[in-house]
Order: sequence, then structure tokens, then C-alpha cells
Amino acid sequence: MALIQGCTSDLDTEPQVELTLEELLNEDPDAVSGILSRLYASFALSGPDGAGSSDIDDDAGESPFLRGIVNLQDFTADAMKNRWGDDGLDQLTTTSNWDENNKFFRYLYNRIYYTIPQANNLLLVLRDVDLDNKDQIEGEVRFIRALAYYYLIDCFGKGVLATEENYGTSEPLSEVDRLELFNYVENELLAAEELLPATNEYGRANKSVGRMLLAKLYMNAGVYTGTERFDDAAIYVSKVIDEGGYTLDTDFVSIFSGDNFMSSEIIFPLLADSQTSQSYGNTTYIVNGNLGTETMTLSDYDAEDGWSGHRSTKAWYGLFNDGDLANSTDDRAALFWTEGHSYEMTDYKKWTDGYPSIKFRNTFFYSASSPTYFSSTDFPLFRLADAYLMYAECAIRGAAGTSMSTALGYVNAVRNRSNASSVAQSDLTLDFIMDERARELNLEGHRRSDLIRFGKFTGSSYLWPWKGNTLNGTSIPDTYKLFPIPLTALEANENLTQNPGY
Amino acid sequence: MKIRRMYLLWCMFLVPLVQYAQITVQGIVTDEATQEPLPGVSVVIKGTSQGTATDFDGNYVLQANLGDTLVFSYIGFQPKEVVVSSGTLNVTLLEDTTLLDEVVVIGYGTTTVKDATGSVSSVTTEDFNKGAIVSTDQLLTGKTAGVRITNNGGQPDSAPNIRIRGGSSLTANNNPLIVIDGIPVDNTNPAGVSNPLTLINPNDVESFSILKDASATAIYGSRASNGVIIITTKKGLTGEFKFNFSTNTTVSKVGKKIDMMDGTTFTRFIQQYHPDFTNFLGIDDPTTDATDDLATEAIEGRILSNTDWQDAIYRTAISFDHNLSARGSIFKTVPIRLSLGYTESQGLVKTSDYERITSSVKLTPRFMDDHLKVDFNAKGIMSKKNAIDESGALSGAVNMDPTKPIYDNSADNRFGGYYQNTVLDGDFVKLDGQWNPVAILMQRYRPERVNKILANVELDYKMHFLPELRAVANVGIEASKAKVKETYVDNSLATYKQDDTATDPANNYRFNPGVHYRENQDIVNRTLEGYLAYSKDLEGPIHNFDVQAGYSYQNFKNDGNKEEYDYDTSTGERFLVVDPQNPTNRYYNELNLQSFFGRGNVNFYDKYLLTVSFRADASSLFSKDNRWGYFPAAALAWKVKEESFLKDVDAVNNLKLRLGWGRTGQQDITGAVGYYPSLPLFEAGSATSQYLSGYALYSAKPYNSDLTWEKAETYNAGLDFGLFENNMINGSFDVFYRTTKDLLATVPVAPGQALTSSFVKNVGETESKGFEVNLNVKAITQENMSLEFYGNTSYSRAEVTDLQDVSRITASESGIPTGTGVNIAYHAVGYQPYSAWVFRQLYDAQGNPIHGAFADFNGDGTVDNDDRYYKTLRPNWTFGFGFNFNYGKFDLSSSFRGQIGGQVYNSRRLTSGWVDKAIPNNSNSLSNVLDFYSGAADFNFVNVQGNVPFSDYFLEDASFLRCENIVLGYRLDDALPNVSMRFYGALNNPFIITKYDGQDPENFNAIDNNFYPRPRSFTVGVNVDF
Repeated sequence: MALIQGCTSDLDTEPQVELTLEELLNEDPDAVSGILSRLYASFALSGPDGAGSSDIDDDAGESPFLRGIVNLQDFTADAMKNRWGDDGLDQLTTTSNWDENNKFFRYLYNRIYYTIPQANNLLLVLRDVDLDNKDQIEGEVRFIRALAYYYLIDCFGKGVLATEENYGTSEPLSEVDRLELFNYVENELLAAEELLPATNEYGRANKSVGRMLLAKLYMNAGVYTGTERFDDAAIYVSKVIDEGGYTLDTDFVSIFSGDNFMSSEIIFPLLADSQTSQSYGNTTYIVNGNLGTETMTLSDYDAEDGWSGHRSTKAWYGLFNDGDLANSTDDRAALFWTEGHSYEMTDYKKWTDGYPSIKFRNTFFYSASSPTYFSSTDFPLFRLADAYLMYAECAIRGAAGTSMSTALGYVNAVRNRSNASSVAQSDLTLDFIMDERARELNLEGHRRSDLIRFGKFTGSSYLWPWKGNTLNGTSIPDTYKLFPIPLTALEANENLTQNPGY
Repeated sequence: MKIRRMYLLWCMFLVPLVQYAQITVQGIVTDEATQEPLPGVSVVIKGTSQGTATDFDGNYVLQANLGDTLVFSYIGFQPKEVVVSSGTLNVTLLEDTTLLDEVVVIGYGTTTVKDATGSVSSVTTEDFNKGAIVSTDQLLTGKTAGVRITNNGGQPDSAPNIRIRGGSSLTANNNPLIVIDGIPVDNTNPAGVSNPLTLINPNDVESFSILKDASATAIYGSRASNGVIIITTKKGLTGEFKFNFSTNTTVSKVGKKIDMMDGTTFTRFIQQYHPDFTNFLGIDDPTTDATDDLATEAIEGRILSNTDWQDAIYRTAISFDHNLSARGSIFKTVPIRLSLGYTESQGLVKTSDYERITSSVKLTPRFMDDHLKVDFNAKGIMSKKNAIDESGALSGAVNMDPTKPIYDNSADNRFGGYYQNTVLDGDFVKLDGQWNPVAILMQRYRPERVNKILANVELDYKMHFLPELRAVANVGIEASKAKVKETYVDNSLATYKQDDTATDPANNYRFNPGVHYRENQDIVNRTLEGYLAYSKDLEGPIHNFDVQAGYSYQNFKNDGNKEEYDYDTSTGERFLVVDPQNPTNRYYNELNLQSFFGRGNVNFYDKYLLTVSFRADASSLFSKDNRWGYFPAAALAWKVKEESFLKDVDAVNNLKLRLGWGRTGQQDITGAVGYYPSLPLFEAGSATSQYLSGYALYSAKPYNSDLTWEKAETYNAGLDFGLFENNMINGSFDVFYRTTKDLLATVPVAPGQALTSSFVKNVGETESKGFEVNLNVKAITQENMSLEFYGNTSYSRAEVTDLQDVSRITASESGIPTGTGVNIAYHAVGYQPYSAWVFRQLYDAQGNPIHGAFADFNGDGTVDNDDRYYKTLRPNWTFGFGFNFNYGKFDLSSSFRGQIGGQVYNSRRLTSGWVDKAIPNNSNSLSNVLDFYSGAADFNFVNVQGNVPFSDYFLEDASFLRCENIVLGYRLDDALPNVSMRFYGALNNPFIITKYDGQDPENFNAIDNNFYPRPRSFTVGVNVDF
């Protein structure tokens, strides 16, 4: 009997490579920061074991969070088109035939709901550990979770509210609407603002990062809840500008180069490193995707692979000197590859129709560098120029506490940095801001939200090449302001319902 | 000579005998029907362990006392007892056509066919498939009802998917438990082994017992939900050594190729459909600057080849198999069998080579007047496989432009003489488009070596003070060492990198030949089992009864590491990727299973047999509270033939009715979620997956602490029968009904409620029912001629009846090649598991599919997911049949098998059956496509987007009839003294009858994509007994 008892304890097999929380905390004093690092990384990396590994069921290459942001925010909008014809991506690029089977919607949805429970898990871990900077880490985790929820609100408009409180329940959670999600994220960010430090290590959230997200939430409150909150947006974007200590970089290109960790302007980057932080879904997707050996030389941008995928449209480069890029003084107008490419995108599947964007590159700005397969360029998810233009938009919209002259100063600071001419206060209209945001911020994951806020995304008031799958663009239904809830989610939780129109 | 196996029957009765004077007894044993001498017949003096066996001419000699009883026994014949009355005893044995006394191994013991209460099929040597047999599963394919064996393709060690009654799980392992000489073997393969059954030499196998219903399998509880296959290897015999040598040579060729375009057709196609791309055809003609003039039929400025890339990667494969075995006794008392085998098998795809050496020894000594029986088995295997990049080569042969040459002998070729399309990027010549599939095969060498032993010793002690009580202990070890090493030769495409220090395109490149990947793995699996068995024969209503109770312990440990190399992106140098958190890149998996079990059998009046069993099982995969599962079973058999109303009916030789019920368990989900699925664990990020500087990154791994046993409950009713003289018609019929509860399945988790997007969970229920028929007909039984037909068919149909919170879950093994995670099959409530969820394709008046047009089933004016319907992929009907014909010294046999129904998704149409596939996407290279002109694909398909991949157009009827083999043999007995030879020639897989348009409809997951073709082969061989 004793023998058998001895044997039954063998049923408690012990892993030798993976670690329990206790083992991890004993082994590495920075273990909690290591888990936090993983949460930040969930926006850029596909998995824990290299660029070929995936945290979720979806393709490691296609599914990373940032790639989803670029696909869903930029390719669905006016400025960027992909030519691969990949099923799903093609429908995004032509804003047509969207349905719940499209795997690209699923990718972002699954990434959002990967990050959220991972954050919930760490919040629970935090309850049981002793740490000096526990509050700060809690603030960071709550910010990360709020950022994931922000994309749920913006892209899908509803979902379940998974928190540390209901973590571990197996009963499917009930669905909550956009307003409830909005209120939750607002409260979380207000709480995080208190917990976050004024400054933090590179790549981590500080007060300004939290405020920037809060400002973005308020900017779009009209879209999300039906109640505009530009006054609140102005309060927080002003705090970012006034208290954050950020300054515009002198050279626009430096913000998108391999050594942009030196930037004084970037408020919150998603990190990339060609050796230690590899992903097909971080800036590698943007850099390699905009390069093609047919017409370009990869090594000019220190890239080793070109995927001949993305080109911008005249909806972007047409905003510089009416499309006469060669004679534009604006530095930003020079960031399109025109040689061998045509201005018009007659056939979006043809590589040479439309100009690839060379805004992002692997090349270092401040020192020499050599080609790499993966990019080392960090993705500037939030940066000061965006904050300036947000302030200006709030001012134009008449937000309390804003001044048009301050707004004008910010706008001209952004323009003059790129050697674009100053504008007058009378030029500051919403249409102008919409165009300036395009010139400055396209391909940085904001465009679709912006167009929706300006009322230009759906309908026919604004058309761009291949909108609605026609060469010169056509009206698309208002229901396209939200993406369909992926079929897999509807199947996994029958409390979830489809968005209208799908 | 028929290859017959000898079985030693151990005497059970100790009869005190009066001592007589010893004399020499000799004689000849012949077959009563054919008058042929029978070699290898066991001759034992009753009540002793003394005995001998007949030689090749049926002669025997032994010392016995007058008055002793000699027991003559030989498998397949009725044993005979003869009292020694003189020095010469010639004996004839009568073939036991009913095989009712055949011993059937049932787990922790044996029974006989006539006393078996469960649904047990036995397949022995004479029934085995013959011909080109590399792995043990191939012996069994198509031979018994309700067992479907579908290998993954034509690789020499292709993995078999064995399903007994269709399997009962969704995600958990559906393979049956395999028990070799009493040791349940591991479900996980060592690195470098696809098929665990290649690791026993098929020539060593004596019999298979297949336990199908729960009453039979329940004694194996924990892992028996999907049935049990018990493999028993050949034993030694008493008497002189006998030897067997067999050798064969097999020549194999590819059967049907995929109907791709040839160079000429492809050129015409490009001219017709993609005239902008004619300058991409063939290779540049260096003698001219011309570009193609579209007005002319010729392609100017290009040199066109006409390469059949499928022919380029396939070969006529030649394989050899040699075996030597010896059976006899050492020290006159210890029966021993030794065997040695060597197999060298070529796959159809070039460089897909497999080599194996097997050896085995089996000792079966008896001690203490037969009170202690010892069975010692040891098998050693060494195998070496060159693992090819299978999908790379097979898809490459399909995709590669047929106007390109295989070789390029120009002076500036840098890829070892292989043609490769390239493009100049800046100052670097980059690889472009499809890699040359021949180069993929020839430039990589990846030997996967496995050394393995499987050894056990079973002690069976019959108590001296109480002979009815036995104590049995079985200790076994299964250990393997695997080494994988992947090496690239010089100039290989895979190691071609830019040299950033140089700028001249003519020489700014480098190759880094050498080791690219290594894996070392040690597996140690230990088994310890012990049980007590009490058996008693009685007078009165209870004819006899026996009870057994025991304990089983199994531990599986898999410890290994991987060395992965990468290229420095700036220098092109190869370096070892070292992960500081796990410097050796180790993996470690351990599984522990323990059980307590008991069984009782009662025989009333020798007419009614009752079996009751119970088993408690624990698995380390589940958390403490959910670890134990309890599995009872009961069965009743009624030997109707023994009833008075049938006893004297001559036309009925055997009639037995069986009823059974039982519950079995399933816990093997390691394939889906690893070995620690119930524990919250963290894993360190690899060296390339770090993020914040200064902190090592850790991921919380998903887990489910609620996981517990999946339970299947089966009801079975069966009838065994033997009719007419000589059992001319015999067979069995079984019906079953099974429900499986707490199904372990990988399901998408409710968003936000687990640490990943899908995980294993106990989710719901399935219900399955079906029946099986086995039938044998002896059409001719004559002295010099016999003809026997056999056949089996089975029907099984399962249905998902509940999935808890959801109505369907995706079947993750049904991925179609249009991106990761796009699946065609679902397990949906109310439908058969693994059904395709598809749109109904619409066709025009000519019967051609209309691209992207589907039936609007619900008539709501839009075609969306509400218009999809389910179509069962796996077949409900499977069958096998064949015949054995003997005439004089010739024998001819053939076996067939197939399925009725089922669908196969013709992925080639999805990947290569659309017009725009041919033109470059993000490269400058063309891709070959299916031959639209021959009807292999439809011109209406320009692209495959949106819902097109979910069209039922891609599904085709997978019914087929395959001729498994045709074997012709000739026996030569008298060429040499004491030598018997059989020469044979065999055709394996000579033909298949099917409506399927693609390569091969027999596809386990029903997704026909990059399928390694099953060879058509011809074998000649000789089998020598001496």
C-alpha cells in the first residue's frame, strides 16, 4: 500500500522548462516586469517563440496586433492600398464585401481578447506579490488593457467586459454596448493616470501616454457614444503637450527610422528590434510591405526583403502641391517612391500603379546601418505632432479652454518642421485638419477613425480610389463604420450578436 | 506450404500416471484432409513439459512411456490426444475450421473464441496482407470490420490513422490503444518517427486481437475509448531449431499524377490569358535582346523548356527487405525465438529514404513444474530516415513553371547546377518565386536516427499451495534515443545570403553549408503491472469462474532539446540561436497514468458466460480533484449452440449471442495542449521574442484546471455463427450504440475568458451507432484445391448531440490552403462530426460552375453564412474483401477494400485551379496551374476570394474501391532436403476505382493537399524454411 501511495504521488508531474509563478518569482526578481513586458509586446509580437510562433490560433505572420491596426485602420481608408489580392485583405482594401468570415477582422478581435485576459491575469498576480513599484505596474497594466479595449470600441463597437473580477469564469459573459465599454475605459484611464509615473522607461506608459489615449477616446466620443466630449479631449491633450516634456523632432524622417528610439517626439512607441524583437506584424510589415524589387532597391532602406504589397494613393500624395511631388517643398512629399510608378491607381493589384510609401524604413537616421530582414524601427503609436493636430481640431470645434492662436502655432510647428509653408488662422478648418492629419499621420494607424469622426468614411461625401471596389470610388453603407463581429466569436459565445448590416 | 504458426498449449491437468518403461516413439503427422505432412506440430506428453515438434516432413521422435498420452496440437487444427501403445504413432489432424479454440488475447489474460464475451476480432498470420509490407499496420489494412486504417500517404513510414468504429473523440487522440506483448505503448512518436508501428518488424507479428466494444476494452480503461489492438509476437518452440529466411525486392512507381499543364500548354495558356507576361516564360536567351512579339505564336527572346516537375521529383523506387529468424529451445527446455530484419525502403519522392534494422528475442521458459512461467521479450530497432521537405517539394513540383529547366549549366550558375529564377535587387541577385523543387530535395540532408528498445518480462506464478491462484507481474520499458540533424550542402538555395561587404552582383553572395538544425531526444516509458487471478472449475450450475484484480503504473517521459540556427542578417553567417532563458532549448514532457482494475468471469452450465469488470484510472494531465475516472463494464454471452434444441442440428456448428455494456475513458489531449494543460505556468520568451529592454519576457500559458476524463459508454450486441458442413459459412455480426460525454475538444474560448483564443475543454456529447459484418465462405475444400472468400463491411454514423454553450466548433485539422486557420469542417450539433460547412455552388446551363454564385437557401436575397449547409466528410461505410485460392503448389490471393460515401476537398483546384494563379503576385515568376484545357479546372474561376473556398464545388465523392494486393506464390518442397521454399510475386495497390478527379480519394482528413502519393508496386520474394 505504501508502495502504491508513493506511486500515486507520481501523478503530480512537474514541468522542467515552464515555470510556476512561485518558481518564476524566486528565479527572477524582475519577473513581474518580465510579464509586463509581455503585455506591451502583445501589440507587436506574434508569440513567445520567434516570429513564427503565435499566441492565438491565427497565423503568426498575419495576425499580430499592429499589423491588424495597419490593415484595419489604413488599408480600409483612403491613403493606402494593398495589391496582393489575399482573400480578406482584398476586401479591406476595396471596402467591399465585408463579412463575418473575413479572417482579418478575426485577427484583430482575437488579439484584443488575447491582451485583455493576459492583463487581467497579471492584475491578479499583482495582488499576491510584494513590489516597490506595484502601483505603477498596476497603472501600466490597466493602461494596456484600456488600449486593447479602445480598439474594441473603435473597430467592433461592442463585446464582453472581461476584467480581473470575472477572470476564470467559464459561463460565457454577456455582451455590453459601446457606451458601457466607453465608460469603463474612461474610468480605467482616469484611474491609471493617477497610478502612472510622470516619466517611465522607454517603451512603457507614463502619465502622458495614458492621457493621450484618454484624449483620443474623448475626441471620438461623439462617434462612440453619441455625445461629443471635445472639451475633455482638449483638457487631456493640453496636459500631454504642456506637462509631457516632448518636443518635435527636427527632421520628420528621423521619427520613422531604425534609430527612432532617440526621438524626443514619440510619446508611446511599439518596439521592434531586428534581432531581439522580431515580428512579421510590427514595422517590418510596413517597411517590407512598401518595398518591391521590381522598381526599388531594398538596400536603400536597409531592408532584405520586399513584399511588393502596399502603395499609397493620390488621396494621400495628391495632398502635396496638388500631386506635383517633385516641386513640393514639403519634406513629407518626398516620402513616396515614384520612379517606375504611375500616379493613378488604375489597377490596385498592379504594383506599379500608385506610389509606395517610404515614410518608414530600417535605415538609421543618426548613424550608419546595414540591411536587416526584420525592422528595428519602433512604431510611433502616439506622438507629439498628433497631439498638436488634435488640439487644433478641438480648437476649431470650439472646445472650452482652447485658443485658435495656440492651435495655429501648433499646426505651423508641425508644417514648418517639414518645410511646409505656414498657414493662416483663417485656413484652420476641419477640412484642412483632416488633410493635414493625412499628410502628417497617414500609415500610423489613425486614418479610418479620423475619417469616421469627420463624417467622411461612409456615404459618398468623400470618395477615394477603390472605395467600394470601383476605380474612382463609390458610396459605402454607414454600417461599414463598424467591422463585423468575427464568426468564431459569435460561435464561442452565443451571447454576442452581430453588428447591423452583416 | 502454408505458413502456419505453432502454438504451444500448456497442459492444465496433472494426472498421476503409472510408470511404464520408456520407449522411443516416432511417427508422421499429416493433415487429414490433404494428406500433406504437417511441420511444426507440437507433440507433448500430457501432464509434463516434455515434448518436441515435427520437422518439415511431419516426422517426430521422442521418448515416452507406454500408456503416456501424447497431445498433438497445431494452430488451426483440432488437438488430438493419443495413448502410446507402440513405437510408431502416425497421426492425422483435422483442420479446425471454426477456430473456436483459438486463443484470443483480451488484456490481462486470454480466452478462446468460443468463450469470448466481447466483440473481439483476431487476425493471424495467414490472414495478413502480403507483398510490400514495411510497417505492422499494413498487415491489417482492410482485414477486419469496423477498423479503418488510412495512412497519411506513400512515405516509407507514413503514419497510419487507425479508427475503430470511427473513433469517439473530437480533439483527443482517436487512435486505439496499442499493446505489444502486454505493454501498452506510447501514443507519442519519437522525433524522426511518423509511424510507431514501423518499429516492430511485421515478420515478428503472430497475431492481432482487436477489442472493439466497451466490455472487451474496459479492462484497459483509461485509454480504451477508441478500442485496443493487442499485438502478440511469435514465440520459440520446444524441440530443434527451425529457421526461416525471407527476402523480397519491391519496385514502386507513382500512380496518378496531378493534371498540371505541360510546357507547351502553359505557353499557350499564358499567351491566351495573360499576354502581358509572355516575357516571363522560360529563361532569357542571351543571344538576343528581343522581347516577345505578341502577334506571333513563338516566344521571342526566351528559351523555353518543357519540364514535368512531378516527374522531376519522383523516381522509380526500389526497396529491399530481408529477415532471418530462428525458433527452438535452448538447453532443451527454454523456448526461444530470435529474429533479425533489415529493410531499405525508398520513397517515391527522391531522397525520401528509409532504412531499418530490427532484432528481437523472445524467451518463454517455465520453472518449478510449470508453476512459474516467464515471458521475456526484447526488441531492438535502429531506423534512419532522410526527412524531406515534403510540402516544399510536392507543392513546388505543382507550382513551378513548366517552361523552366531543371538544371542550368551556365558558367555563372551559383546554385550547384540547379536552375533558379532570380531577380536583381539593387546590386544583389535575389531568389525569386518558387524554389526549384529538385534543388529543395537534393540540397538538404536530414537524417533522423532512432534507436529504440522495447523490453518486458512477465512472471506468471501459480501458487504451490493454491494452484487456482496466480500472481502475475509484468515489467516493461520502452526507451528510445532520437537524433535529428539537418544539413545543407554547399550552394544550396536555403543558405544563399547577401554579403554586405561587397557590392558586385557577380560575387556579393555567400553560402553557409553545414548543420542547420539538430534535435536530441530521450524517451523513457516505464510500465509496471501486477495482478492476482483466481480461477476455479466447479460442478453444478457454475461451470467455472475466475476473478482478477490488479494495479497498473505507467510513466512516459520525453526529454529533449533543439538546436536552431539562424543567419546573421548583415554578414550572412550562420549562428546558433541561444535563448538565455533556456540555453539548451530543452523540452520536457511527462505523463503518468495509474489504475486499479478487477474482472470476474462466470460460466453457467457452459452456456451462459458473464463478465464484469471495473477499473479506476488516474491521469497526471488533470488536476488532483479531477484526476480519477471510474470505468465499469459487463457482458453476457449465450452459447445458443449448446442448448438442447440446437445441439443436434448439424447445419449449425456454432451460434453465440453476445451482449455487452461498458464505460471507457479518454485523456490523451497532449497533441493539442501538451502535458501540463491543467496548471497555470509561465514560459520565457525566446531570444528573438523579447520586448522591454533589460527584462526577460515571460508569457502566461493558457490552461484549464477543470479538465477531466472524457467518458464513452457503449452498448454492443453480437452474433457469432458457423453454418453447414465444415463451417462452410461462418462469421459474425455486431451492432453497437455509443455515447461519449464530457468530450475533450479544442474549442474557441469565449472571447476574453482564457489566455488564448482556443483551448481544450470538456464540452459535450456525441452519439454513434453502427454495425459490422464479417463473413467467410469456403467455396471449395478439396484435397488439392481450396478456395475461400472473406469479406467485411461496417457502417458507423456519429452525431454531435450537445456542445454546451455553443452550437458548433471548428475542426482544426480541416485547414484548407487559403491561409492559416481557415477550416472547412465543423463539429456541429445535430450533424456528424467533421462535416464540411459549405455553400451550394450554382452551375450554368452547360454544367459549368458560375464563379462565386451560390444558392440562397433561405431566400433572403443575400448569400451569407445562413445559406451554408453541412456535408459529411468521413465515410459511413467501409468494406474489405478478398479470396485465397490454393491449387497444388500454387497459391493465389487478393484483397480489396474501400469506402462508400465520404467527401474529399480537392485543394489543388483551390491552389492551382484559377486563371490568375499563373501570374506573379509579389515576384517575377509564373506559377503552373491545373490543365484547364483538359477539364482539370474551370476557366470561370479567375480568383478564389471571399466565399469561393467554401463552395461545395471543391468537394468530391470519395468513394473508392482499391485493390490492395494480388499475390501469386509457388511452393517448392523437395528441391533440397529439409528445405521448404515459397516464391511469390505481389502487386500492391495495382488499381483503384473512383470518381474522384484528383490524385487519391483516400485521405484521412479529407483535405487533398500536397499528398505524398501512394506507390504502385511490384514485389518478388522468397520465403525459405529450413
